Amino acid sequence: MSDKKKVRIAFFDFADCEGCQLQLTYLNLNFLGLLEHCEIVNFREAMSEASDEYDLVFVEGSIMRPHDEERVKKIRSIAKILVAYGACACTGGVNGLRRRFTDDEAKEIVYKDRPWTIEAGWPRPVHEVVKVDYYIHGCPTNNDETVKAVKSILLGKGYTPPDYSVCIECKFKENVCLFEKGQVCMGPVTRAGCGAWCTSSLNTCYGCRGLLSNPAEEGHMEILAKHGYTIDTLKQKFDLYNMCRLEAEKNG
Amino acid sequence: MRYVYLAKSDLDALIQHLKKSHRVIAPVKKENLFILAEVQGAGEIALKYIPTILPPKKYFFPPVEKLGSFKMGDEKMNSVNMETQPTVLFGLHTCDIDGIECLETVFHYHPADPYYKKRRKSLVLIGYECMFPCDEYATCVTMDTHNPKAGYDIMITDAGDKYIIHMNSEIGEKLIGTCLAVSRTGNDADIKFELRRLREEKIKKFKTILDTEYTEIHDLFKQSYKAPAWKDVGKRCVSCGNCTTVCPTCYCFDIQDEVELNMETGERKRIWDSCQLEEFATVAGGENFREERSERQRHRYYRKFCYSIDKYNKFFCTGCGRCTRACVADIKLYETLNQLKKETNNV
Repeated sequence: MSDKKKVRIAFFDFADCEGCQLQLTYLNLNFLGLLEHCEIVNFREAMSEASDEYDLVFVEGSIMRPHDEERVKKIRSIAKILVAYGACACTGGVNGLRRRFTDDEAKEIVYKDRPWTIEAGWPRPVHEVVKVDYYIHGCPTNNDETVKAVKSILLGKGYTPPDYSVCIECKFKENVCLFEKGQVCMGPVTRAGCGAWCTSSLNTCYGCRGLLSNPAEEGHMEILAKHGYTIDTLKQKFDLYNMCRLEAEKNG
Repeated sequence: MRYVYLAKSDLDALIQHLKKSHRVIAPVKKENLFILAEVQGAGEIALKYIPTILPPKKYFFPPVEKLGSFKMGDEKMNSVNMETQPTVLFGLHTCDIDGIECLETVFHYHPADPYYKKRRKSLVLIGYECMFPCDEYATCVTMDTHNPKAGYDIMITDAGDKYIIHMNSEIGEKLIGTCLAVSRTGNDADIKFELRRLREEKIKKFKTILDTEYTEIHDLFKQSYKAPAWKDVGKRCVSCGNCTTVCPTCYCFDIQDEVELNMETGERKRIWDSCQLEEFATVAGGENFREERSERQRHRYYRKFCYSIDKYNKFFCTGCGRCTRACVADIKLYETLNQLKKETNNV
């Protein structure tokens, strides 16, 4: 492989916590394996060098302000392949909640008594601004899936994340269903691929990988309502990671 | 002699005897439910249990199974060096033994599945007869799976102060034949009579919750393809896929290839799939043959009660009730069937 030209990979972050990039530093030996086939030229989280020549780009974070928009457009114009990496990039993630408020309301909540404010921006998943080739979902992303996706992209096959519910992976692990225990769970309408990470670790599914492409929203609302949840709680559960999409659907 | 007794206090002695030659898998408690898992002694076993979250099929046909390996550019896949371990599945309900019979039918149907075949050979089935109904969701009496009939090596029946052990195969006889804990004081005719009386008594505790008789179910489905019930079921279903994952007779799978980090070699795996998932019936070009949830649910029911009769002359529902228990939307198999019955009566 060494005589082959290595694929140049770059990571860029926008509005996010950079937690998904941080996940990559836990890849350990897998990371070294991947480096046989690619060269990392931009990775703020783990190196200080930077280059503007790259083939495969991972964009992390939501696009908020006009200059973010310009920046991601420039990245897109250089990159051969662009991957939306992590919930903020794929669905808008928790940043989407900002869409509940006007600019002034948002500033009031965040900056309240401070003498200065900065531009609030309008959260968008990357595909609302530039073309996205592939998606790696999650908050944070799951390294097993990331490695699988990167291998598949490097092979030229691309990557399609699962479009079935977290319940599939949760049942494979023989977890006792959270509904059985009287808890609320977004698993039935949330995209799998995480290996039922949270529900296998005494947690619940928050829906971080986003809704399925065709979720049975009404059916799920009915299930949650049957378990005694109010419309308000239900809306919060759905909005947490899906606000951008739900709002776009509402506005046609 | 095919029937012997075992003192209740000697159950662990039997398990220890089995363990000399086999790994022992049995139902164990997991929170408020049960799973099949490896045990070291009788104390860990939950003999009184409702059907485990996943059925025994996970030992015959694992959720994710390696089929072989490949090298990029090669024309043929290398076959996998499959290692199996002699294993006893202990304490299986009779409905689950019927489920295994369904898998037997499918995987041995021409051409036989080599992976299944190899795993099957390493497994010994020891049943534990149900003397009480599991809960209000099981339909085993209608599906006629509540009594031991066939498909097991050994069956254990609780006869009050002792267990009756029935050896139903050569391996069963061999395993029990070398077990010092059993008592050979009875004779087959007397024990068979005792079992008949026990079964006459136990059936009084079971209720039938299906309004259709075993012999009428196939006809009911022949008339129900356009029944309104499917729309109702489809409206509630969220396509989570729980019903098919937990079903003892669902066997659909997907095949996926994944390369190693060297990008030169890789593995081929098969993974349980589900007809309830949106992508399942989608073909090249994007056409989906069962786009609606109602169509997908109907398909599932027809695979259990109609198509399987047409093809194998066997129902592929064992009445275990797992799909009803696992459904997050509370879709109940017996309610659907009873609704179908009502709707055909009205026509």
